[in-house]
Amino acid sequence: MKISEADVEYVAKLANLEVAPGEKKELAEQLSRIVEFVDQLNKLDVSAIEPTAQVVTSVKHAVRDDRVSPRTGSSDAGKTGKLFKVPKVITER
Amino acid sequence: MNLRNITADKLVALYRNGDLTATEVIQGVFEEIEQTDKDVRAFITLMRDRALEDARRVDAKVAAGEALEPLAGVPVAIKDNMAVRDVLTTCGSRILENYIPPYTATAVERLRSAGAIVVGKTNMDEFAMGSSTENSGFFVTRNPNDLTRVPGGSSGGSAASVAGGMALLALGSDTGGSVRTPASFCGVVGIKPTYGRVSRYGLVAFASSLDQIGSFSKTVHESAQVLEVICGFDHYDSTSADTAVDEFVKGLDLPVKQIRIGVPKEYFVEGMDAEVKAKIQSAIRLYESLGCKIEEISLPHTEYAVATYYLIATAEASSNLARYDGVRYGLRQAGNGGLQEMYRQTRMAGFGQEVKRRILLGTYALSAGYYDAYYLKALKVRTLILQDFQKAFERVDVILTPTAPTVAFKIGEKTEDPLAMYLSDIFTITCNLAGLPGISVPCGRNSESLPVGLQLIANHFQEGLLLRVAHQFEKAGGFLL
Repeated sequence: MKISEADVEYVAKLANLEVAPGEKKELAEQLSRIVEFVDQLNKLDVSAIEPTAQVVTSVKHAVRDDRVSPRTGSSDAGKTGKLFKVPKVITER
Repeated sequence: MNLRNITADKLVALYRNGDLTATEVIQGVFEEIEQTDKDVRAFITLMRDRALEDARRVDAKVAAGEALEPLAGVPVAIKDNMAVRDVLTTCGSRILENYIPPYTATAVERLRSAGAIVVGKTNMDEFAMGSSTENSGFFVTRNPNDLTRVPGGSSGGSAASVAGGMALLALGSDTGGSVRTPASFCGVVGIKPTYGRVSRYGLVAFASSLDQIGSFSKTVHESAQVLEVICGFDHYDSTSADTAVDEFVKGLDLPVKQIRIGVPKEYFVEGMDAEVKAKIQSAIRLYESLGCKIEEISLPHTEYAVATYYLIATAEASSNLARYDGVRYGLRQAGNGGLQEMYRQTRMAGFGQEVKRRILLGTYALSAGYYDAYYLKALKVRTLILQDFQKAFERVDVILTPTAPTVAFKIGEKTEDPLAMYLSDIFTITCNLAGLPGISVPCGRNSESLPVGLQLIANHFQEGLLLRVAHQFEKAGGFLL
C-alpha cells in the first residue's frame, strides 16, 4: 500500500499536526516503506483469532475509592490559586 | 570518584562502617560527571544540591548510629520520562522542555524511600521512541565504551550513566527493548519486569499496553535489590499487578541445575553478527556446564513481531500524545488563528521528526477504513505471539536469545532509515507484546572490545527465576566470556 502526499496531509489533519510542504514527499516515502513492511501481516489468516489489546496478568482492574488521601509528592497544582489560566478557546468564525 | 569498581551493597557497607561518607561520595560523583559527561552526555538535568542534602542526611544517620536503608546513599540516575517533583522532566522532547511536575513517580519515590540518592535525569530518545538515543530533542548521548557509537535506546542516558561510572543504578523504561538494548550496547545489566509489575504512576505514557519501568546496574545482585524495592502493587496505577514480590536477593543462589533453557531457532537468523552469535553459543555451553538442560524451541510468529509492534505502539502513542496540545503542558505556540491553529503550531514546533512519523503512522492505522486492516490485525497477531510463548513455557523454564543482532552501531549509521532502526529491536519487542519479563546481561566483548548482550526471558512474574539464572551466569564468569 502506497501512502500519497494527500494521505499524509489528511492523516496530519486528523492528528492535529502541521507538516511543512517540504516534508510531505519524504514522509510519504518513509511511511509507504513502513506500511509495505507491515503488510507482511496479511500472509497470516487471523480470521478466527481473538485480539489481545492488553496482556492482563493478575491485574484486578483496580478502581480505587473516590476519596482524597494525602500522599507525599502528590499534586499541588491546584493549591496556588483557585483558577487555572488557559488560552482563549472560543474564537470567531 | 568513578563508580565503575564498586557496587551498591559494598558502598552501603562502607558507609555503615564509617569508612566513607555519603557526602564525599556524592561530591565525588559530581566531579566524575563533570569529567566524563563532557563527552558521554548522559544527563539532561543534574540534581547536585538536592543530592548533597540527601547525602548529609545519610551521614547524620550513620553518626547517630541509626540503621541504614538498603540503598542508603547509593547514587541513582532516572530516565527523564519519570516525574520527579520540582525537577525538570522533559521526556527528551522540546514540547516538554519547561515542564516541572508537581509530584514524583512511584518507582522513584520507592527508590528514595529505600535511601537511594537521585543525582540526575538522563537523556533519551524523544518520548522513548528510538533505539539509539539519537532522537533526543536535545543532544546525542555517546557510548562510554566507544564514543563514536550509540549507547542504544531509548534509555541510552541511563545505561551510559551506569556504564560510565557516573551512577551505580539507574531507572529506564522499556516499551520494545528500551532498557535491554542499551544495557546490551553499554555492557551492563538491564531488566524489564513483567507488565504491571512496577507502577507506572509518574511515567510519561508512550504505548500503554507495552510500557514497563526497568533498571540498570553492573551486577545482577544489584538489579535484584532494585526490583525488590520498585516492584509491587500501587493503587495510583490501574494496571499495577497485585502479585506478591518475592525476596529476589535471597533466591539468587538457589541451584540452577536441571533448569530447562529453550533456545528459539527463529532468533538465530541470517544477518546476525557472527561474533554475537559465537558469544551466545559460548553462553549456551556455559549453561550446559552448570547442569542446565538446553532445548531447541520454536516461536514461529517471531518474524511478524516487528510489524505487529510498530502498529500497536504507534497507534497507542498517537492517542497518548494527543494531550500535548499547548493547553496543559509545556510549550505553547499561539499562532494567529484559533485553538486548532494553536494545537497544530505547538505540535509542529515541539515534536521531532520520529515522533511525528510515529503519530502519523499510528493515526493512519487507527483511521476509518484502516482500523481492521492494520490495528485490529496487529492485535490478533499479538495473540499468536503470546500463544507461541505459552506453548514454549510448557516445555522450558527460561528462554535464551541474543539481546540484539549486533553490537552498538556507529552514531548516524541508521538515522536516515527508520525501518533499519526498527529492525534493531527484533529480539526484544516480543517480550513487550507478550508482557513477559526479560533481562539483558553482558556476555563478553567482540574483537573491537564492544559488549555483547545475552537476553533471558521467563514466564509472567518469574523475575526471581530470571535473576537467579542470570546471577549464576555472572558467577560462573559469563560476563567475561
